[in-house]
Amino acid sequence: MKEISLKNIFLVFLKMGAFAFGGVYSMLAFFEKELVQKKKWLTHEEFAEGVVIGQLTPGAPIVNTGIFIGYTLKRLKGALATVAGQVLPAFFLVLIIAYLYIKYNDIALIRSILKGIGAAVVGLVASVVYSMGKKFLTSYKSISFAVIAFLCLAIFKLNPIVLIVISGIGGLLVYREGRL
Amino acid sequence: MEILKFLWTIFYINLFTIGGGYVMIPLLQREIVDHYHWLTNKEFIDSIAIGQLTPGPLTIMNAFIGYKVFGFWGSAGAVVSTYLPSIIIVTIVSRYYVQFRNAWIVNASFQGIRPAVMGLLAAVAITLGKESLVDIPTALIALGSFSLIAFTKTSPTFLILGAGILGALIY
Repeated sequence: MKEISLKNIFLVFLKMGAFAFGGVYSMLAFFEKELVQKKKWLTHEEFAEGVVIGQLTPGAPIVNTGIFIGYTLKRLKGALATVAGQVLPAFFLVLIIAYLYIKYNDIALIRSILKGIGAAVVGLVASVVYSMGKKFLTSYKSISFAVIAFLCLAIFKLNPIVLIVISGIGGLLVYREGRL
Repeated sequence: MEILKFLWTIFYINLFTIGGGYVMIPLLQREIVDHYHWLTNKEFIDSIAIGQLTPGPLTIMNAFIGYKVFGFWGSAGAVVSTYLPSIIIVTIVSRYYVQFRNAWIVNASFQGIRPAVMGLLAAVAITLGKESLVDIPTALIALGSFSLIAFTKTSPTFLILGAGILGALIY
């Protein structure tokens, strides 16, 4: 196999970072096509491992899958190259948008555009809740976890970080199956 | 130094963003909006939209928040604080990934965390809704965006652009 250089890793992930619009699933499909099918840097199995690891670690799963792949190919430098590639295009775009946002925020037209977008964001977050629900609410136990977390945040205003930690411990206790 | 406090906040929020990029939203709302008042709820919603509008991960919205509050260095610093926890943890896990993935402790705790973060996100959807859904057109846009994403394969980027155009036309 041809030697994979850091520059190549960076460039492939830069391409993904620049063109992968439309959320996690389109990015995963993109990863698979570029890295497994075209470049053959990874096998299907390694890629699948990367996806699982990405979801089991904190942060954006897609970035984490990239870090895993970069680390597998070229250790820490490879990992850094994937993050830089994935993040730089969006970062520059964000800088431009942020600059314009602050400058033109009080123009009436921009306010009306943002009003429409704000409403769409609510629908979007609700759709994420819906798709998570379809995937994760599979038993009375998981439904209880969701309802309790919901109430703790919506009504008792507990800190969500604390709630995530508690639900992790709760998961250990409920799903330990006699191991603890 | 306010900016160091901000970068530290972004760092630990990302450390606890477990179960998907969207999990960051309840944590950010708590710290950035409710606790430190660096952003209003409206500006927070705008930052989610911008994170969604740009290619790549949603978590880049932290760079927007950084810019809004502290200018360029806030933005650049936010990128580092956002991805540093991932880099540290994933490189460690990558060495032992087979053991890690198969560890029952990891799997059992995730079975608790996944539905819980869904509940957290539902609670946040309600607060965001109270802020953004102020009349019938905004409620309809939200309903439309929910249905398009939940039941079709529409890209969120196009959705945000479309909603922006609708907003401009209606208001």
